[in-house]
Amino acid sequence: MKTYHLAPWARARQERFGLLFYDTRSTTMTFVRSGDRLVAPPFDDRAVPLRVVTRSPAEELRVIRVLDGLEAKGLVVAAEPE
Amino acid sequence: MPQNLSSERLGAPVNVTWEITDHCNLGCRHCLSADLRRESGGELDRERCETLIDELAALQVFQINFGGGEPFLRPDFMDILRYAQTKGIVTCVSTNGTMLTPELVDELVGMELLFLQVSLDGAQAATNDAIRGEGTFERILEGVSLLSRRSFPDLSLNMVVTSVNFEEIGEFHRLADSFGARTRLSRFRPSGDGSRMWEQYRLSRDQLAWLSGFLGENPGILTGDSFFSLTNADRQTQGLRTCGAARMTCAVGPDGSVFPCAFLCDPAFLAGNVVEESLGAIFENALIMRTLRDLEVEPCQTCDRFSLCNGGCPAVAYFVTDSLGLPDPECLRVAIPGPGIPGPGIPAPGTPVAEHLSAPERAEVA
Repeated sequence: MKTYHLAPWARARQERFGLLFYDTRSTTMTFVRSGDRLVAPPFDDRAVPLRVVTRSPAEELRVIRVLDGLEAKGLVVAAEPE
Repeated sequence: MPQNLSSERLGAPVNVTWEITDHCNLGCRHCLSADLRRESGGELDRERCETLIDELAALQVFQINFGGGEPFLRPDFMDILRYAQTKGIVTCVSTNGTMLTPELVDELVGMELLFLQVSLDGAQAATNDAIRGEGTFERILEGVSLLSRRSFPDLSLNMVVTSVNFEEIGEFHRLADSFGARTRLSRFRPSGDGSRMWEQYRLSRDQLAWLSGFLGENPGILTGDSFFSLTNADRQTQGLRTCGAARMTCAVGPDGSVFPCAFLCDPAFLAGNVVEESLGAIFENALIMRTLRDLEVEPCQTCDRFSLCNGGCPAVAYFVTDSLGLPDPECLRVAIPGPGIPGPGIPAPGTPVAEHLSAPERAEVA
């Protein structure tokens, strides 16, 4: 599975519903209802990848779709596994 | 699951408006901070400001909107601004533009995570000067020219839309564009000195209806989500559909007093002071914050537009009707009456509002 990092201009924080993303280029927010399936990196260490916590392959597919959507919006950057 | 994620309870503010000084060199007739500045018990010193910024960073607040007064009048403001940026917090400065010098602009151009919003209340000198003071149009545009010549990247010109400058909205948009700046239109609210000018400056129903359509046709115009009560179908997926006070934002006064938002900086809405208590605790626990978070505008709940505005701006409702639980008196249903008889661009009753996890919603917070 690919790993996903925050884009350099993106911020994310954990909320009860999931993740709240913020784009520093446009000051826009993006709400992602991911529950505890996606874990944001520490606010002061954005080099840490987003952590995916899923309980089934179907759930993993859904989360990956969300991550791909976030990548299309420029909020996360995907890296292929080495 | 909630229908609208932007209505969800957040753990901390997304952005904080910080009126960092009570000093100003202008006397704008609609100043929303006038009462706050008059009643302020001084200013937080630089060390206390840095402590607050540390706390905002710990709370993962994304953005600080600095205002005043005029922030650039404060001698240590640039140090405070830099400190916030070193914490990775986006900074937006609302300025009247008259303090900008070539040297200051050179410093600002070199800063990352900085948005500048210059206030100008008309496209014509006479219109602006009637609101912001004689000769200010020229002085403001001198500052804007300095920023434009140095290609400052994130610049907007902000006009508080009133009956006085309403006819100049299009011309204002072109003026901003000529400086390479984005247009920002802000809602006039009866807060501070705005309460004294309310009857004179407020928009008519026809003007509100026209503005709703204009904003829908011009999605590039920034509003800071201040016109969400007027949002029409063209703009409904852009920005918030509810009041952010005590949910996504709060305001800090020059002396550290905390309020639910910049338009509710009234003693009745005082939630605490960061000198005595942490901002996180005030945001979470203060009675007035909880009251606003739980606020339900009962009369609006049967309206076909309720899902688009959730009752509108409580600040306008409070200062006009003396009640928090009444509808925003400037909502689009007031401008275009008739539930079930949709006006131009207004969704018909029962039209579903798009809301998907995989197509996350966006909201402008500057």
